[in-house]
Amino acid sequence: MDVMDRIRDAVETTPVVIFMKGTPQFPQCGFSSRAAAALSACGQEFGYVNVLADPEIFENLPRFANWPTFPQIYINGELVGGCDITLELYEKGELKKLVEDAAAANAKEA
Amino acid sequence: MTEENPRIAMIHERITEALKPTVLEVEDESHKHVGHPGAQAGGGHFNVLVVSAAFEGVPLIKRHRMVYDAMGDAMESEIHALSIKAKTPDEA
Repeated sequence: MDVMDRIRDAVETTPVVIFMKGTPQFPQCGFSSRAAAALSACGQEFGYVNVLADPEIFENLPRFANWPTFPQIYINGELVGGCDITLELYEKGELKKLVEDAAAANAKEA
Repeated sequence: MTEENPRIAMIHERITEALKPTVLEVEDESHKHVGHPGAQAGGGHFNVLVVSAAFEGVPLIKRHRMVYDAMGDAMESEIHALSIKAKTPDEA
């Protein structure tokens, strides 16, 4: 599969997914670490892609949604933002709602 | 504004031109990331606070895109990470 298709597949089949440096357990960058921690705190399952383990995705993700930096958080196939936006939404209580709604919609479909 | 730091001056200039901010703070945090893999490639870490009327009625993701767009090609070279706070004058 072409790398853009792989990225599209990841964001469309996983309701909440973070492309990050490292993993939620072993993040390799402060921004990725904080964004993954905010998602974890929302209490729902989420997927992750370690961009350091996949050089092709690392190279091409910035042009997928025209967003230059990592991490990138997608909910229901749409880019929500990077670390700053994720933390800001978390602090406002909006991230939890987005994540819960995505999980509920996915459970209904399954 | 720190004239001695050419990257801060560049960020200042590009954001000022694109967004006409009423408040603009740019901070170079690169020293906190020495040894970080991204830092080794030469790109810096910066924090910016931008208060601009241009953000009124604009969702967060779009505000951040406006800042990234203002930075242009610098996002691919000079800047490794840009932490953004983008507010309207009412929110600031």
